[in-house]
Amino acid sequence: MRVFAPKPSVPISMSDVPSIRIAGIHKSFGPLEVLRGVSFDVHRGSVVSVIGASGSGKSTLLRCVNYLETPNAGEIYIDGEPLGTCVDARGQSRPRSLGEINTMRRELGVVFQQFNLWPHMTVLGNVIEAPIRVRKVSRKEAVEYGEECLRRVKLLDKADEYPARLSGGQQQRAAIARALAMRPKAMLFDEATSSLDPELTDEVLGVMRELAADGTTMIVVTHEMNFAHEVSDRVIFLHQGLIEEEGPPADLFGAPKSERLRQFLSKYRK
Amino acid sequence: MGNWERLVWNQRDVLLAGFVVTVEVCAIAFAAAIIGGLMLCLMRLYVPPLRLVAIVLIEFFRDTPIFVQLMWVAYVWPEVFGFPNSFFNAGWLALALQSSGYLAETFRAGIEAVPSGQREAAFSAGMSQAQTFTRIVVPQVALATAPSIVNQFTVIVKSSTLISVITVPDLMSQSQKLVNVWYEPIEILTATAAIYIAFVFAISLAGKLLADRLRQRYGLAAS
Ligand SMILES: Nc1ncnc2c1ncn2[C@@H]1O[C@H](COP(=O)(O)OP(=O)(O)OP(=O)(O)O)[C@@H](O)[C@H]1O
Ligand SMILES: [Mg+2]
Repeated sequence: MRVFAPKPSVPISMSDVPSIRIAGIHKSFGPLEVLRGVSFDVHRGSVVSVIGASGSGKSTLLRCVNYLETPNAGEIYIDGEPLGTCVDARGQSRPRSLGEINTMRRELGVVFQQFNLWPHMTVLGNVIEAPIRVRKVSRKEAVEYGEECLRRVKLLDKADEYPARLSGGQQQRAAIARALAMRPKAMLFDEATSSLDPELTDEVLGVMRELAADGTTMIVVTHEMNFAHEVSDRVIFLHQGLIEEEGPPADLFGAPKSERLRQFLSKYRK
Repeated sequence: MGNWERLVWNQRDVLLAGFVVTVEVCAIAFAAAIIGGLMLCLMRLYVPPLRLVAIVLIEFFRDTPIFVQLMWVAYVWPEVFGFPNSFFNAGWLALALQSSGYLAETFRAGIEAVPSGQREAAFSAGMSQAQTFTRIVVPQVALATAPSIVNQFTVIVKSSTLISVITVPDLMSQSQKLVNVWYEPIEILTATAAIYIAFVFAISLAGKLLADRLRQRYGLAAS
C-alpha cells in the first residue's frame, strides 16, 4: 500500500478524459466519401471551431458527432463513453439501439443553421419540451430553468410568442436557449449565423461569446473568421473530409502552414 | 305564401327528422374517415409489409364512384362479409371509405411536408421516435391539414344525399317522400336545397375561421 502517495485533488481520470472525443470518423454517402478519418478531442470548457470550404464535410462531421448521421467507421466518445456502441458486462461490444442513442444524444445541445424551432409551440414551449419529456423534470422546474435560459439569451420578453413572430436572430437565440435547457455537456453549432442578415448576426454571436466565456464546451462550425479567431481555443481546418491543419487560432490565422488554408483565408480578407 | 306554409313549415318535423339523420350519418362517417384515413396513411408510410395493401385500398376508395360504392357496400358486403347489418350503417360506411382514401393522402402529404429539421431538432434533444411523432409531427400535420379535413366534411355532406336511394331516411329522402305525397316539388325541393346550402356553408365558414385563427396564431402558411 502506497500510503504516502500524494492524492490528486481532482481524480486524474476525470480531468484527462475529453468531453468529446472524435476518433477516426469516416462517412460516405454512396460513392461520395465525405469524411475520411477525422479525429480530435474537445476538452471540458474549451471551444473548438471548425472551418473549411463549402462541401468540405463540416456539417456532416457535426451530424456524426450526435449520430444524426451514423459514421461508417470511427466512434464518438462523450466523457469517455462511446456513443454508438456499448460494452456489456462481459466486455463484448455491440451497437447501441436507436433508443440508447437517443438517450446519449441529450448530452449534446445542437443549434442548426435553420433554427428548427417547433412552430406550434411558444418560445417557452420549445424550451421546456425536452426537459419535461426526456429529462422528466416537473413542469414548474422546467419553466424556472427555461426562463433562466431565455434570460441568458436575452429573450425572456418573447417567452410567450410563437416562433413565426420572431426575427431570425431572435429565433436562433431561442434555439440556443432550447439547447441549453437540457443542461448538455457540450453545445454543437452548425453555422448558427449563416442564414441571418448581417445586422442580426452580432446578437447571436454575442450570445455565443458569453456562453464560451462562461466555460461552455462548444464545437462551432462557422464562416465567421473573426469569431473563430477571438473565441476558440483551437481551430480545425477541414479540407475534403480530412483535417488539413489545426492548432490555436493565433497560429492558424496568424501563420497558416498549408497552402490550402492560406488560399481559404485569403477569401475572407478583402 | 300558403304553399310554403303548407308544404314546408307544417312539415318541419318530417324535414327536421331527416336533417338529424343526415347529421348523424355524416358525423359518424367523418369520424370513421379520419380514423380510417390515419390508419391507411400510417400503414402506407410506416408499415412496409402493408404498404402495397394501403396503396391499393386508397386508390380503390378514391377511384370508385360514390354511388357504386354505396350500392356495393349496401348489397354486396352483407352477402360476402355478413355486415353492415342496416342501410344506415351501409350509408356512413360507404361515405367513410371514400373519404378515408382522400384523407389518407392528405395526411401523408402533411407528414411529408414537415421539414426534416423539425425531427432532427427533436432527436438531438433526446426525444424518442414516438415522442417526436406525437409531439412534433402530428400537431404540425393537424394544423396544416385542418382546412382540408374540414373541406372533406362538406364533401361527405354533399355525397350523403345519395344514401336516400338505399332508403336511409335522411333529409333528401324525407323531402322526396313529401314530394311524392303532394306532387308539388317547387317549395319542398327549394327548401331542401336551402338547408343543404346553409349546412355546407356553415361548415366551410367554420373551417375558414379555424384556418384563419391557426394562421394568425402560429403564422403558418394556409394550405
Ligand atoms: N444526406 C446526404 N446525402 C448525400 N450527400 C450528402 C448528404 N449530406 C451531405 N452530402 C454531401 O456531402 C458533402 C459535404 O457536405 P457538408 O454539408 O458536410 O458540407 P459543409 O462543409 O457543411 O458545407 P457548407 O459550408 O456548404 O455547409 C457535400 O458534397 C454534400 O453534397
Ligand atoms: Mg454545412
